[in-house]
Amino acid sequence: MDERIYEMFREIGRDLYVADMVSSHGGNMSIRLGDRVVIKRRGAMLGRLKPHDLIETGLEKNDSGVALASTELLIHRTIYQMTPALAIVHCHPRSAIAFSLSRDEIVPIDNEASYLLKKVPVIWEEFASGSPEMAKHLAETLAQYKIVMLRGHGSFAIGQTLDEAFHWSSTLEESCQIAVAAKIINEPFLEYRGMSEGYAKW
Amino acid sequence: MHGWAGKILDVNLTTRAIQTRALDETSARLFLGGRGLGARLLWDEVGAGIDPLSPENVLIFTTGPLTATGYQTSNRFSVSTKSPLTGTILDANSGGYWGMQFKRAGYDALIVRGRAETPVYLEIKPSGITFHDAQTLWGKRVRATTHALGQNNHKRNVLCIGPAGENCSRIAAIMNDGERALARGGAGAVMGSKNLKAIVVEGNTRPEIVNQELFKFMLYETRKLLRASPLTSQALPEFGTSVVMNIVNTIGALPTRNFQQSQFEAGRAEAIAGETLTEKYLVKNAACWACPIGCTRISKTARGEGEGPEYETLWAFGAQCGIDDLPAIIEANSICNDLGLDTISAGSTIGCAMELTERGLLDSDLRFGRADLLAPTLEAMGARRGIGAELADGSARLAKQFGAPELSMSVKGLEMPAYDPRGMQGQGLLYATSNRGACHMRGNMLGLEVLGLPKLIDRFQVQGKSSFVILHQNSAAAIDSLVICKFTNMGVAEEYFARVLTAVTGIPYATGELIRVGERVWNLERLYNLREGFTRADDTLPPRLLNDAVTEGPSQGWVAKLEPMLQEYYRVRGWDAQGVPKPRKLKELGLDSCVVQ
Repeated sequence: MDERIYEMFREIGRDLYVADMVSSHGGNMSIRLGDRVVIKRRGAMLGRLKPHDLIETGLEKNDSGVALASTELLIHRTIYQMTPALAIVHCHPRSAIAFSLSRDEIVPIDNEASYLLKKVPVIWEEFASGSPEMAKHLAETLAQYKIVMLRGHGSFAIGQTLDEAFHWSSTLEESCQIAVAAKIINEPFLEYRGMSEGYAKW
Repeated sequence: MHGWAGKILDVNLTTRAIQTRALDETSARLFLGGRGLGARLLWDEVGAGIDPLSPENVLIFTTGPLTATGYQTSNRFSVSTKSPLTGTILDANSGGYWGMQFKRAGYDALIVRGRAETPVYLEIKPSGITFHDAQTLWGKRVRATTHALGQNNHKRNVLCIGPAGENCSRIAAIMNDGERALARGGAGAVMGSKNLKAIVVEGNTRPEIVNQELFKFMLYETRKLLRASPLTSQALPEFGTSVVMNIVNTIGALPTRNFQQSQFEAGRAEAIAGETLTEKYLVKNAACWACPIGCTRISKTARGEGEGPEYETLWAFGAQCGIDDLPAIIEANSICNDLGLDTISAGSTIGCAMELTERGLLDSDLRFGRADLLAPTLEAMGARRGIGAELADGSARLAKQFGAPELSMSVKGLEMPAYDPRGMQGQGLLYATSNRGACHMRGNMLGLEVLGLPKLIDRFQVQGKSSFVILHQNSAAAIDSLVICKFTNMGVAEEYFARVLTAVTGIPYATGELIRVGERVWNLERLYNLREGFTRADDTLPPRLLNDAVTEGPSQGWVAKLEPMLQEYYRVRGWDAQGVPKPRKLKELGLDSCVVQ
């Protein structure tokens, strides 16, 4: 494995943990390298990634790597097959998960997330997150949005790089934390954005 | 159909027959317009083995579903033909006003076929389409022709060739609105071979937009993003495209003296960079129709005033020729625009001639640094006179003729632009696989490998680089099919374009589907080249870049590591080891009817 690829995983993984966006063993991430996928090892801690925690396997073809890869490998593969993504970050942003429990979409009210994300859909499936149904549903949604929430579970963000997918993830969580703070303050919202009605229709 | 005009105009110069036919709706959905629609039409129109300069070749001018809608940079149009320079499929696109006006004339495409007996020009107006005698215009330069035919940016727009096109220089451009160029690959020579001097358009229709509410929101958001991006709101308007000159030189990826070095010496790149151009010679910036960026330079020297030069031009007549005389480069650019010559190929060919001369293979005065010879050499090229006759068909033919084909810095015969692949590995793969030959507009790794757009990746990384290259090639093909300017993409991502397309046409396009259109176009272009006999062996770089490591600077020790990237590229594309798209891939893209025998 190229040392630079490990460095990238290690830094983003550490940042996700430090930012409270994953628990000790939660979340995962991957990149697409041509027809190969590099993904976090099953059970590895994002905040303490070692070189052997990165597993390389085929984008379509199985090999021994699948025995070691994250349980959500199927989702990652499906996303790569159905979208232009070259990197995926899956994490458990707490405020965003809280909002996902009562909403079908999260429409940011802060400037940064309005600007970058417009709207984040919330999806759910009866089956577990590693199921083919969920993988397909998620990938179809990510063909139109760069970050999607799984209700009560967490976010999946795509980008050309891990850096970019992490950017969307942290922007969503920041936005949700601001929304929580605004609810606590509980004062009338003063709209400051032009054509803001467009965000909900994004 | 919304977004498309729904009509193709078909003009036969031999018989003077004019026909209008309906645009096939399926083709429109699958290929959109511009480069994509051009490729689809060319596949049927020009079969294998046709001489590009014969009457059997066609010129296909296309607009796209976004053209003339008023969306930011929706001014562009495209020309598709078989290239007389490379023998590959060719498309070139251009901004300005002509494309907007042609769409307003009510057409998605114009196919020009045959050859006129004597020079003519074509006039397309709401009142009708007419042929005019152009014998008095033949021999005139581009600015004089454009003026004589009544160019008026918002009402009447002129597209024409200059003397270079008339003389069938294989690096001749087609020019529109006076100074804009469909530059690369020699489309101007095809137009010259048909005795077609100009096409004048006047239009009065407006494209219909299905979802006005979404369209207005997208206009608003796009304006916001373009204003927020320092690249599109400050760097490009203030310095033009040559804002990247110092950046590319600093990292050791500025090809110098025919790619013998990858850095121009201290102070010399600065002398031809955007900052110097703005400080000393810029009169003002200007913009194409519906463009809020305004990267166009209006420059003035003691010898005249005109549009440009662009970064690639400053490099081609600058570092590539070992020249840092900015007024001489500005003049060279102006001469090329007036003769109708592609500045990249012209400058790179002169650089090649300089190396041939210095190595004793060509008997000429051309030597690196001879700024005084740029203007007379270009004039000679346009007229096919003296040394110019040797250079007028590009560096590949020149270098081969004088016994050193390896000194042509080209891929498939098209001269490479201003990035040294040894310092930008992804750019090397991009050049090697580009369907029209080495090109920085068929995807560009400058954003990812240098500017950090959207995020910075390692420019020397080899493993996995094909994924980035393919994504950007597909994206570029989609943008070229919409047709809008790629500089918009420096501030606005593809998800916006997909939504604008949805708003205009009423057909839901997800981001992934838009990129898939680009993939379809790319594969069809590949099939076209395979049908013409191109093989894996043509997906390569000049030996210098593969074998000679950079000797100093930030890219020291690097060669272009093409082979591992290329193997990975074919696999990821769904092609076999010889670079032939597999049946499964073609079926997936809806191209299974396009068979290469």
